[in-house]
Amino acid sequence: MIRYECLEALAPMITDQLFTTSQSGQRIEWNHLTDHPGNLLVGNMGCAIGVGVGLALALPNRKVIALESDGSVLLSLFNLPTLANLDPPNMTVIVFDNGVYSGTRISYPTATSGKTDLTLMAKGAGIQHAVTVSDLEEFKQEATTALNNDHASFIVCKVDETLVHRETPRPTTDLAENKYTFVRYLERTEGKAIPFVGRG
Amino acid sequence: MEPQLAEQLVSSLKGAGIDFVTFLPETRLSQILPLIRDDPDIELVPVSSEAEAVTIAAGAVLGGKQAAVYMESTGIFVSSYSLLIAGKSLGVPILLVVAFLGGFEDQRQSFLYANIGKHSIPVLNGLGIENRVIEDGANLESKVKEAVRTANAQRSPIALLFAGEFSS
Repeated sequence: MIRYECLEALAPMITDQLFTTSQSGQRIEWNHLTDHPGNLLVGNMGCAIGVGVGLALALPNRKVIALESDGSVLLSLFNLPTLANLDPPNMTVIVFDNGVYSGTRISYPTATSGKTDLTLMAKGAGIQHAVTVSDLEEFKQEATTALNNDHASFIVCKVDETLVHRETPRPTTDLAENKYTFVRYLERTEGKAIPFVGRG
Repeated sequence: MEPQLAEQLVSSLKGAGIDFVTFLPETRLSQILPLIRDDPDIELVPVSSEAEAVTIAAGAVLGGKQAAVYMESTGIFVSSYSLLIAGKSLGVPILLVVAFLGGFEDQRQSFLYANIGKHSIPVLNGLGIENRVIEDGANLESKVKEAVRTANAQRSPIALLFAGEFSS
């Protein structure tokens, strides 16, 4: 199983969900596969789950999905007990675990290539629905369930390393443009103004 | 901190529109926590690290909240990456309510805190986060409102560093 085919399967499931991404190949591939205004492509590691949890708490009627990588989750493990204890029912984390820091271009192994199991860590943190999936059909099933359930989910997808993201056109919107597209989308779909934007 | 000062601070946060607070507990301002917890108008979110206190607050702001992060000043160092990414690069206004350890105005100043205090403001300045030290309750309501207004206008975190009477 590779990440791109998982994202290809996920893209048609989008309705009004909100997505946050960390910096890694899935940011590029997800942006290429969808032009969903509910995508917030947080372009650095370690922030997608936190921003997603904040959105999930502020908008309990919206499903929020954080698209993560093993390296990014390992960088921000404090998110796991917080996610477990807050347990926002509208929050899903999908971790594409390829076992390497592919951005290094030397495929330096992450801890998940060694002794570390992110699903067990999530369970140990207290996330009740933490699962590992290893093939595409399993992924489709878990993703479909996660988009429709009412509890926090943590899905670790064991994927092969690929270089698809290096052959995929990169996002051309900067963080500010992406933020305002996202916020205006929320204003339209939530029917309310986002206070910080204010008046000019 | 005197109980009425804690009440004044919470009232000032509410008056400035703060309705979402993430926090890691500390010593100097901790009396505000039960007050916020018992206030139905403010959502109080406990975290495990100031780094995620900032990212969670940023997400809440994008979702329509007016958020503050309550932290000890050591949290500035822990959360500096999140402040840079979720605060500055993404451009999200967040009020940082910081218990300022180790500065001149810290009434519990000690060798344990002096180095933290010496470097806190330079780190905030290095991140491009404007900041003010607040030593007493004079005009506190106005100062908090001004900070939130400025954060929103700048699309940036702003820090209020509480010391003096707040650190007694």
